[in-house]
Amino acid sequence: MANDDTTREQALDWAVRALDPAFEDWEGFSRWLEQDASHARAYDEVAGAVTEATELIAVAPANDDTVEEADAAPQVRSVARRRWLGGALAASIALVSGLALWHGSGRDLYRIETMAGQIHTIALDDGSRIDLAGGSAIELDRDDVRFARLEQGQALFTIRHDDADPFRVAVGENRLVDMGTVFDVRNDRTGLSVAVSEGAVQFNPDGENIRLSPGEMLKTHKDGGGYVVSPIASARVGEWREGRLTFTDAPLEQVAADLTRASGIVFVVARGSGGQPVSGSVLIAPLKDDPRTLGPLLGLAVHAEGDRWIIGAR
Amino acid sequence: MQEIWLKISALPTGAVDSPLSYLFRVADMLMVDRFRSIRQAEKRDRDWTEINVGAEGGASPEPSAERRIAAAQEATRVLSMLDRLGPRVAAVFRRHRIDGVGQKQIAAEFGVSLSTVESDLRTAYRALSTWKERGDEV
Repeated sequence: MANDDTTREQALDWAVRALDPAFEDWEGFSRWLEQDASHARAYDEVAGAVTEATELIAVAPANDDTVEEADAAPQVRSVARRRWLGGALAASIALVSGLALWHGSGRDLYRIETMAGQIHTIALDDGSRIDLAGGSAIELDRDDVRFARLEQGQALFTIRHDDADPFRVAVGENRLVDMGTVFDVRNDRTGLSVAVSEGAVQFNPDGENIRLSPGEMLKTHKDGGGYVVSPIASARVGEWREGRLTFTDAPLEQVAADLTRASGIVFVVARGSGGQPVSGSVLIAPLKDDPRTLGPLLGLAVHAEGDRWIIGAR
Repeated sequence: MQEIWLKISALPTGAVDSPLSYLFRVADMLMVDRFRSIRQAEKRDRDWTEINVGAEGGASPEPSAERRIAAAQEATRVLSMLDRLGPRVAAVFRRHRIDGVGQKQIAAEFGVSLSTVESDLRTAYRALSTWKERGDEV
């Protein structure tokens, strides 16, 4: 047991040092990790707890109108709210532009847009939440909190389900109706895709009427030529929120577009290297520090050209 | 489950100031991430079988709302726990983890030594890993 305590103390020391951006003694750190299998586990426990607590604090929802929440713990809510506003984090996810627009069809729509490299969280009055990825635009209705139109980009919907008043998402001509609760929608050059991690979503109830279950993803083609439903790991749905992107046999075009949206750094596919599909998992934060790290991670050639980064087959 | 590809053999030596350091940083974050995903999946599986046996078609009407409230409450618990460790510990933790400021700069900002910052973070990390252990046992 004394041994366990020593390991834990050492793990704490390493976590303090290794989680600092200036840390460089990776060799020493690796040596310690390799000394004993319990070391890696102890480190993971500490680093995992720290990361989880950080995320918890950072994304603590600033909702102020959920009935249950008010009933359950009124003072809890106001504290969370104050912290949230006090943190410098509020500045980092600041809304870029909230431009009021009135579109036809009797809706009082307003528009929220993010710049590439940003994530914006929208807390709706009904307790639902929308996380808007970078380089995206969404329209919401002032008079109807159960409606959203994803104009471009990507959004994760965490919806409070109501059988009597289901949440509807419009994407171009397509309609999505939530059957409860968490789903990711994206609309870009490659077409529309909908991935469900909890509950279910009904795709075009008046047309194809497809029910998507957790772990399923539907993709349409941009030119309207049908759709494909394929499996997706639920943990991957909306993972971009945590600053991580995973590609499975993805075309380079999509990799470049996704990375640009998530990082705010412009990635372009090198001429003549289209075909080769890419697989891998990338964290965005280190990529922002140095886009070249993408090379070894995804097995690509990466070089700068002015402000842009050209990625291509090796 | 997510997979991780690391092609260290293809490392472009000399291409960045300290490419190894970057790679290690990336790998470290991925591994911690992976550890947490597995943990969560295990816990989810447990909760799922306990609560949701027989749920129709996997459609659950309200889970996210409950979870969201629970997360807000948990965040408040974590914050007050950090506060109890002392105002500087809480402030240093926030500046380092949430704002992403390096320890050296924090030491300068707070007018304390680097080792004081390290010891404050150590105090916070220790409390957090105890918090997490307790949470997992429940």
